[in-house]
Amino acid sequence: MSELEVPGKEANVLKGHEGAVLAARFNSDGNYCLSCGKDRTIRLWNPHRGIHIKTYKSHAREVRDVHVTPDNSKLCSCGGDRQIFYWDVSTGRVIRKFRGHDGETNCLLLLVDLYSTGLDLGDSHLVNAVKFNEYSSVVVSAGYDQSLRAWDCRSHSTEPIQVIDSFSDSVMSVCLTKSEIIGGSVDGTVRTFDIRIGREISDDLGQPVNCISMSNDGNCILASCLDSTLRLLDRTSGELLQEYKGHTCKSYKLDCCLTNTDAHVTGGSEDGFIYFWDLVDASVVSSFRAHSSVVTSVSYHPKDSCMITASVDGTIRVWKT
Amino acid sequence: MDLDEDDFVFFGTPIEREEEITSRKKKAVAEASGQLRTLPVWKQEVTDEEGRRRFHGAFTGGFSAGYYNTVGSKEGWTPQKFVSSRKNRAEVKQQSILNFLDEDERADLEGQSLGTSMQFDTFGFTAAELARKQAEKEQQQRPSAIPGPVPDELVLPATESIGVKLLLKMGWRHGHSIKDSRPSSLYDARREARKAFLAFSSDDAKAQLAESESVQGNLESITEQPTNDDVQSHQNTPVYVRNPKQDLHGLGFDPYKHAPEFREKKRSRMSGKRETGNRKADSAKDNLFGFKSGNVAPGFGIGALEEFDAEDEDVYAAGFDFVDTYVQEVEEPSKLMTDSKPKLLAKETGVLPGFRVASNSDYQLERFDPPVIPKDFVPCHKFPGPLETNYRLADPPPPEVPPPEDNNLKLLIEGVATLVARCGKLYEDLSKEKNQSNPLFNFLTGGNGHDYYTRKLWEEQQKRTDQSRQQVDVKQSSSMRKMTAESRGKILGERPLERSIKDLSSSVASAEGIQLQFNLSDTFTEPASSSGLHEAVKPFKDDPAKQERFERFLKEKYQGGLRSTDSSGSSNMSEASRARERLDFEAAAEAIQKGQWGKESKHFSATGGMQFTSGGVEQAKGTEAEDLITKKMFPKREEYQWRPAPVLCKRFDLIDPYMGKPAPAPRMRSKIDTLIFTSDSAKETKVEETIIANRDFSMLQSDVQGISQDVAIKENEVEVEVENVERPVDLYKAIFSDDSDDEGETTSLNKVENPEKKIEAATTTLNRLIAGDFLESLGKELGLEVPPDLPQSTNMAKTPASQKEAANTNVGDSNILPVKNNPSSTVFSETLNHEVPHNRKIAIESRSDKNEVIHGKLAKSVGIYMETGSTENNLDKVDLEKRVHEDSKAKTPSSRRKNWNSNSSSEDERSRKQSKRHRHRSGDSDSDSSSDHRDRYRSRSKGRKKESSREKSGSSRRHSKHHKHRSRDSPGRSRNDSDREHREAKREKRRKRD
Repeated sequence: MSELEVPGKEANVLKGHEGAVLAARFNSDGNYCLSCGKDRTIRLWNPHRGIHIKTYKSHAREVRDVHVTPDNSKLCSCGGDRQIFYWDVSTGRVIRKFRGHDGETNCLLLLVDLYSTGLDLGDSHLVNAVKFNEYSSVVVSAGYDQSLRAWDCRSHSTEPIQVIDSFSDSVMSVCLTKSEIIGGSVDGTVRTFDIRIGREISDDLGQPVNCISMSNDGNCILASCLDSTLRLLDRTSGELLQEYKGHTCKSYKLDCCLTNTDAHVTGGSEDGFIYFWDLVDASVVSSFRAHSSVVTSVSYHPKDSCMITASVDGTIRVWKT
Repeated sequence: MDLDEDDFVFFGTPIEREEEITSRKKKAVAEASGQLRTLPVWKQEVTDEEGRRRFHGAFTGGFSAGYYNTVGSKEGWTPQKFVSSRKNRAEVKQQSILNFLDEDERADLEGQSLGTSMQFDTFGFTAAELARKQAEKEQQQRPSAIPGPVPDELVLPATESIGVKLLLKMGWRHGHSIKDSRPSSLYDARREARKAFLAFSSDDAKAQLAESESVQGNLESITEQPTNDDVQSHQNTPVYVRNPKQDLHGLGFDPYKHAPEFREKKRSRMSGKRETGNRKADSAKDNLFGFKSGNVAPGFGIGALEEFDAEDEDVYAAGFDFVDTYVQEVEEPSKLMTDSKPKLLAKETGVLPGFRVASNSDYQLERFDPPVIPKDFVPCHKFPGPLETNYRLADPPPPEVPPPEDNNLKLLIEGVATLVARCGKLYEDLSKEKNQSNPLFNFLTGGNGHDYYTRKLWEEQQKRTDQSRQQVDVKQSSSMRKMTAESRGKILGERPLERSIKDLSSSVASAEGIQLQFNLSDTFTEPASSSGLHEAVKPFKDDPAKQERFERFLKEKYQGGLRSTDSSGSSNMSEASRARERLDFEAAAEAIQKGQWGKESKHFSATGGMQFTSGGVEQAKGTEAEDLITKKMFPKREEYQWRPAPVLCKRFDLIDPYMGKPAPAPRMRSKIDTLIFTSDSAKETKVEETIIANRDFSMLQSDVQGISQDVAIKENEVEVEVENVERPVDLYKAIFSDDSDDEGETTSLNKVENPEKKIEAATTTLNRLIAGDFLESLGKELGLEVPPDLPQSTNMAKTPASQKEAANTNVGDSNILPVKNNPSSTVFSETLNHEVPHNRKIAIESRSDKNEVIHGKLAKSVGIYMETGSTENNLDKVDLEKRVHEDSKAKTPSSRRKNWNSNSSSEDERSRKQSKRHRHRSGDSDSDSSSDHRDRYRSRSKGRKKESSREKSGSSRRHSKHHKHRSRDSPGRSRNDSDREHREAKREKRRKRD
């Protein structure tokens, strides 16, 4: 029964990126998707029809993450050039560039080969992830300089309004809720910063955290660790609910996410496979070879059973049931 | 599409300077604040290089005057000199490119422009050249019948010869006959007149005329020309236009000669077929054929009365084309589309117009089958190395030759032989070539020692072939029969190889034998290691030396033979450890025998490792345990305080949880950190104390040391908890600048100071002891009750310098102590040298000094001091009075400090310094005898002052030190106060008595 729910049919292949695609993200209603990659471009697609709509070029280095506001009017993106770009979707112009993440870093380079997608060690300025908050008034970025930075989109300031530097290694991923900022770092911690009560809750997983993603009900966090394990944490208690194994994730930043119904956990693997686990009993429901190379990013449609995956092989594939 | 001008691609990391960053930041801010460029000129703000708003002065424009965003220059706007245009008209300035070039550029340009000038270009060659270039340029844009560049020789662009030019200069125009131009002017005049006449005659005609003029302006002349025969006759030289031949008909044949309407049809069909990309060509064609066809030009529209016929559809077709391209421009050219388009275009452009790509061609590719690989071919290259050696072995061995007398030569020969044996004949050749001139290498070419060399080479080769043969054996057995070395050994009843090697090597010379053995064992065991034997034999692989010994042990045990008693490794071991190791080895050997080779070797090695290696096992166990622990431990939740920025709260639409609360102190790294830190420092100080104590207090008894250390440690422990309160250091610094001068001037002495600080802890206890003694005696003298258990001595509040003095104090030198009666002065009187007489002198001086001051200030208190002080001082003091006073004034802090560090310096200065201190003190104590409170405050402040100075001087020291001083301070202060109270009380009593 569950086999049927999991997308496994290739609906479309979105080609256009030259070089690795580092992230692919659905927009908030799932009608469009954005991708970014090593070719320094961000591309807007209609994944359901397989059409490329627009290309956003301005980055000087590879683009590592992109996020779009709920109203689809603005984009933010980040990458190797220590800046966070704030775009207007329709005109394709950069409205603002937040300069930051240039802190001196002396962190242990645990993730040396994590950047083996073509990065050298001198790159201490890269920004790993960006997200808008609910009101799309703040962009929060996670950087290699061991910090989370919040940027104000409403004012004209290009300085961060908040710098969270309690991490002790590169911050790889960030999630936002209505009142919290959650960051996952290579130092093995997932830290939740609750703005409402002014507390920082640190969950130490003991393994470098690659990527974090929230369950749709907001109660759990799925963290992808570098020991080829996905871990599901209960947010209120900090308990480890489940571990999902089977894939390989040892040196790349691979995304993971939950399906729209929260019934399954999905994630890419370094051998080009996609895995689907049952959320509760952690059994591999489905796994198939989706790409010829590392699956860097997965994103699930917010409502339908549809998924997009991006890979180092330069393609984005759309999967449906 | 949206190319931002700011975005460049940078390679490498630019080294950024601070100022660059700031200026860029400012620029960024300015840009962000409303996109400067888009603002109207008057709203833009002019800033100078530093980004400050530019102010030009109240009378020159305020903030927004010229130069930057308005007219003017750097010098300002200077009005030009008025030139009356009445007499001399303003000349129109002819600008040339030279006006815009720099000097050097101009020079460059002028230097380069060497060529025939147009003036002397009689036959128009240069002009032709230029024209050709021009034509080539145009060629790119213009479509032509022949694709690709036209050969230059074929098509010569028309140029104007000098004659034409001359004619042109004379007023001739193309298309006109060479005639006087006057008639044309006549014609113009006539035309004007006619126009006027027509306008006058009838309204209708005028309207018609106007219409015709506006719509078909260029036709006007044609319509009018027939009226004037003269004019028409002028245009007798038609402009010849070469039409590219685009049809398939023969030259000069025109199929539409008698049916021009068909030509038109065909043309429209063609244009319909054409892609939008070729629209230019179409329009060009329109122009070409425009006159002949008489077609309505597109874009003029159709009048309401005009007929709507097939030809007019052209207009809309064009319009449709336009829309089509518009869409394409707006739409981002997608990858898919761009992929498909070039193909289409290629299809079109690759073929000559009028030709078609043939569907089947006669040309056929001749294909050749790849060569057939013989069935017995093995895709693996075999090197003829071993074969060669085998072949060589067949040769009879060269006779044994005694080595040459020269030892060096012998060594050299041996070395070369081994190398050659290993690397092959090639190496020999190479070295022969290289060392041709070198007499040492004569043996290669048949000189001295050649025989020995050949013999040696043979030996080496033999050795090597033995090895390789064995190797091949092993390989074959392991790979082909899939048999492990052990199983083979079992079957054959063999011993492990190393031992067999021993046998082999025993026959060879000893030194060589070892080498060979190592070689062999290496080469042999390598393949074996894959099967696990290698691992199994090495239970001590964590410790290579031990492993080596173990192997030796095994050999000895199982084989007997020669025993090397002086084994290099174990020789430096103690007897006990050797015995223990031997036991270990025995156990290991037994275990190996028991779990003999049949067992899974890996497993064995693991257990063996557990049993016999101590460190490694524990580590392994530890890691396992750790794994377990981590599994249990993680995820680990911790909670911290975190303060979100108010703006962040606002943006998240939340209430700031810290609203109205003061900004938090910078977050502590972690409590553990600080704890570790302090304990560390405590440890350090302890160590240092002992060291310094050993150095400085050599005369002290060890028990005193012990006490002092203990106390110091205790103090450290206590002081960890003491809150660090910031003191306004600078204020004190400003007031008591002499202290700060100290450290400023004597930077080199700081080094000496630091140890002083470190020994403070020791000193305090010492001082306490001394002070305790002293106070007791003092109490006895004064008839006062001294609190028996004084927590700390008076000199707690002292400068480190004084403490150092105290440190130098000889404990046994107690004879001075009774001299002092004023508690505050004890400190300074302790400045003792090892020489007693000197000390005595200082004490006297200090006393006198003090007394002098007191004399000068308050005569009343003299009596008190006289009473308490020693009588000799009173006698002396008058003499000393003046000198001391002066000295104390002249005294500089630096000199004082130096004194502290060099004990051997003159006593005078020391005393002077002391005197100053005394003055302070006495002033304190005497100024306000009635108000105890104030006095106390002062003394405290003094203590703080000292403290502050100490802080300053030791600013580089660690934090915990401060704690220490401070905490030590407070009891001392209280002591001071109580003392003072006592004294005050006493003094009052005396006054009453007086």
